[in-house]
Amino acid sequence: MKEGEYPRARLDCLRREFGDEVLVYDRERNVGHCLNATAAAAWKHCDGKKSAPELAKLLTQQLSTPVSESVVLLAIEELSQARLLVESEKPVRRTSRREAIRAIGVAGAIALPLVTSLVAPTPARAASCLPKQSPCVSSAQCCSGNCNVNSGKCK
Amino acid sequence: MKTLDRLGWAEGMRVYTYGVHAGVRVSTAGMLPQISQLLPPGWKNSRRATMQRLYSLVVAQNGQRAGVRRMHILYADSDRIARDTELDQVLAALETDLHRYVAEASPDMTFLHAGVVGWKGRAILLPGHSLSGKTTLVREMLRLGATYYSDEFAVVDDSGKVHPFPRPLGIRKDSTYAQTNYTAEKLGATSGVKPLSLGAVVICNYKAGARWKPAPLSRGQGALELMANSIAVRNRPQHTLRRIHKLVRSAVFIKGTRGEANESAASILNLLSSGNEQEKE
Repeated sequence: MKEGEYPRARLDCLRREFGDEVLVYDRERNVGHCLNATAAAAWKHCDGKKSAPELAKLLTQQLSTPVSESVVLLAIEELSQARLLVESEKPVRRTSRREAIRAIGVAGAIALPLVTSLVAPTPARAASCLPKQSPCVSSAQCCSGNCNVNSGKCK
Repeated sequence: MKTLDRLGWAEGMRVYTYGVHAGVRVSTAGMLPQISQLLPPGWKNSRRATMQRLYSLVVAQNGQRAGVRRMHILYADSDRIARDTELDQVLAALETDLHRYVAEASPDMTFLHAGVVGWKGRAILLPGHSLSGKTTLVREMLRLGATYYSDEFAVVDDSGKVHPFPRPLGIRKDSTYAQTNYTAEKLGATSGVKPLSLGAVVICNYKAGARWKPAPLSRGQGALELMANSIAVRNRPQHTLRRIHKLVRSAVFIKGTRGEANESAASILNLLSSGNEQEKE
């Protein structure tokens, strides 16, 4: 197997398991991701050495339900979009959600892989703050963290 | 800072709150009672010599030159953070900055931006951004008999329990950003004292006329929403994730768009009404 040909999970992210789901925090980009059970299982096995059919086989064993290659490709696509995979030199084979659903069929027993992402807020944005153009006397009051002292309004 | 230190300071106070030591000094005597009203709830006097953050308030004096606008100026350490002719505005800036600093720097607690009420011995969290209607919903729940914990921060300890942060509710008048503060007691409610386990997390936004039909969220999705409302997640992500993990062990998560608060408040409280009532306050 060639190095860089197969998907590899980033190891520099923080992770916490919530049942079958995994919450991942990307410290580089300050983004949190929730991986559902299928996406989490796929991500765990992405070590850069396994092909999509091999991953499908592993997931089938782990999740105790048939997992097709289309599902694996969709998981890779979702993980890649969320930037949770190491960028490879060679493009990884991908699929769309629509294609995956078509391949699995509506009666598929497995949940489609899903990655939900939210940006971690700055302290100013996380607490109560004033939106643009509202009156302010201090930058701490503005969601932008920037109060225009001359106009007395949040930038 | 040395320049500031050389100014004449009439009085000051050292405060310990949620594991943070902060100081406030003012150029005019007699202001400390007013300032103590702005401090985070449950503060105590600190005996430490050095403060993590020192606020210096220069109050403009009468009798300065005619034609010159008298400015009250607030510094945090050596940074000027507010300046205005209205003292109330500068004091509001002091309150905002201090509360946020404590929320960010507290070594003991994790602060989430959320309204919190106690109901049937469990905490209900209403995370949300500014102007999402947290205070309105909290107020409505208080009217229905819930106990007040906060309209700003859910304060989570290492065991995953939610502590009160019962600052006065900042109620906005329609279409303005100006707030009037009301204590829970003034609204006919009581403030909670005991830390509570989490019962439910309700993520909602307001839309006039919308019907409250929330959908359940998974625990992972709910935890992600809490992360997105954590004050210190960028500075201490590992610590924050660990606390959220402990917090959400046995909670219900729902998400939806709400219309008027009276409809959704009753429905949310009903979520826990049939639940565990053993942990009564």
